[in-house]
Amino acid sequence: MSTLFTQLWSSGGFWLGIAETLYMTAASAVLAYVIGLPLGVVLVVTDRDGLAPVTWLNKTLGILVNIFRSIPFIILMVALIPVSRALIGTSIGNGAMILMLVVASAPYVARMVESSLKEVDKGVIEAARSMGANTFEIIWKVYLPEARPSLVVGAVISTVTILGYSAMSGTIAGGGLGAIAVTKARPSNAQDVIWLCVALMVVIVQVIQELGMFVARKVDKRLRLNKKSKRLHENSDTDPTAV
Amino acid sequence: MIELLDLSKSYPSPDGETVALEHIDLTVPDGAIFGVIGLSGAGKSTLVRCINMLERPTGGKVVIDGEDVTALSKKQLLKLRRNIGMVFQNFNLLEQRTVEANVRFPLELDKTPKEQAEARVTELLDLVGLSDKAKAYPSQLSGGQKQRVAIARALATRPKYVLCDEATSALDPTTTDAILQLIKDINRRLGVTVVVITHEMRVVESICTHVAVIDNSRIAEVGLVSEVFSFPQSDIAKQLIIPNLIRSLDGGEGVKLRLVFNGEQSDEPIISALAMECRIPVNILYADTKNIDGRAFGHMVLTVPDDKAAQAKQFLDKKHVSYREEV
Repeated sequence: MSTLFTQLWSSGGFWLGIAETLYMTAASAVLAYVIGLPLGVVLVVTDRDGLAPVTWLNKTLGILVNIFRSIPFIILMVALIPVSRALIGTSIGNGAMILMLVVASAPYVARMVESSLKEVDKGVIEAARSMGANTFEIIWKVYLPEARPSLVVGAVISTVTILGYSAMSGTIAGGGLGAIAVTKARPSNAQDVIWLCVALMVVIVQVIQELGMFVARKVDKRLRLNKKSKRLHENSDTDPTAV
Repeated sequence: MIELLDLSKSYPSPDGETVALEHIDLTVPDGAIFGVIGLSGAGKSTLVRCINMLERPTGGKVVIDGEDVTALSKKQLLKLRRNIGMVFQNFNLLEQRTVEANVRFPLELDKTPKEQAEARVTELLDLVGLSDKAKAYPSQLSGGQKQRVAIARALATRPKYVLCDEATSALDPTTTDAILQLIKDINRRLGVTVVVITHEMRVVESICTHVAVIDNSRIAEVGLVSEVFSFPQSDIAKQLIIPNLIRSLDGGEGVKLRLVFNGEQSDEPIISALAMECRIPVNILYADTKNIDGRAFGHMVLTVPDDKAAQAKQFLDKKHVSYREEV
């Protein structure tokens, strides 16, 4: 056992790492949804066959989202250093890391939300229109509730992705399990620390995944009597290549 | 009263324009069950969507109760839609809401006070015979039950009109009959005017008072069901109403007479009288009679030898049987 391992173990360093990872992931995920959810809704609504087509807005947002999604996270981090300094006064630490995670994942979340909403049956939207629902009512009372299970699944996938990104926080002096593995264990070649960090990340991902799927099933009223479709649903929604 | 005046609708498409409706003139009188029948792709779904402006017509007007709805503001249009219920082929229920919440949906949009809405939902579920399914979710229901929920939902805001777009096309024959009876019942008891879009003749037969036959984006024929069914004029109407008739008219010797039973004849056996009393050797090429609304309707095609044709016609006239000589 390496000295770093014993040191971290006795000082509760691993617990701190878990807490920091969870904190960064949760805060980033929440903020990413604050931005990404409305953005996803706008992408759907302003689409060519959406409720209120605004082609230029849709195209512009689509391109912006694609640009942000195509920049590798590590490069985005570097690029965001001045932005972070301007916005929150610092470009290092967990706070800066959260900002960077939000910028990187909000466009991703927007696409997830967009694809969930597009799964909602067009016929149901038409029915709501025939009843005199306006655009806002259709978003609020049809799109979001009808897409709820799929939105939850999307949130799980997004959160796991953010968790993965958060491991890079070491590069800007942030904390978490990733930082322990990269900035502390790697230089002193403490393999046992690295492996424990990896194992802890795996456990966290598993817990998030299982919990999320449980919630998704719980909120989906289509599955009540239908065991078979439940199984199908599970398989199709936990796509390991989605990240 | 719903009036479609010179209504046209076309869509932009890669090769110029796709025409869905052309110069449609129709009047749906209050209290009617108005059938619009046509083959798929004829434009009937577009037609019904033009009534509540789910599709904007590219030409002409839609006038409902004297008001030109093509000229309404967005707000007025949303209000108008609450006076026009709509029922769809695929039910289009909100899958994440219970049956009662689905029926309550239009009332929520209408900002109906809660207690009042609850009472209305109970009343409607009772009307469609689904009171015991109030807390169920759509996925737990059969197709027929889902359509009952959809009908209850369409009636929630007490609309004057209900549009049914292929409402029974996804259902089996028995369920279809039950749903059609429900629609008829609603029309009679609540005085709701119904527009029924369908490709199935039996839907028109069993509930409609009026029918418009639509073909190739245009109205081919329109009138009371009893008239159109007795003497379809257009080829498309003939094809829909008496599909095998056209074929039976091909070739053969002698004069072909198409007899039409419009529910007013006595039940005297006409054919045997022709054969036995008049000694005319008749040949039946085609026969199809149906019971609509308790009266006999149908068509029969006879051939009689050329030299006996006049005598046969005279006999039919005497017996008040309507007929046409087919060429």
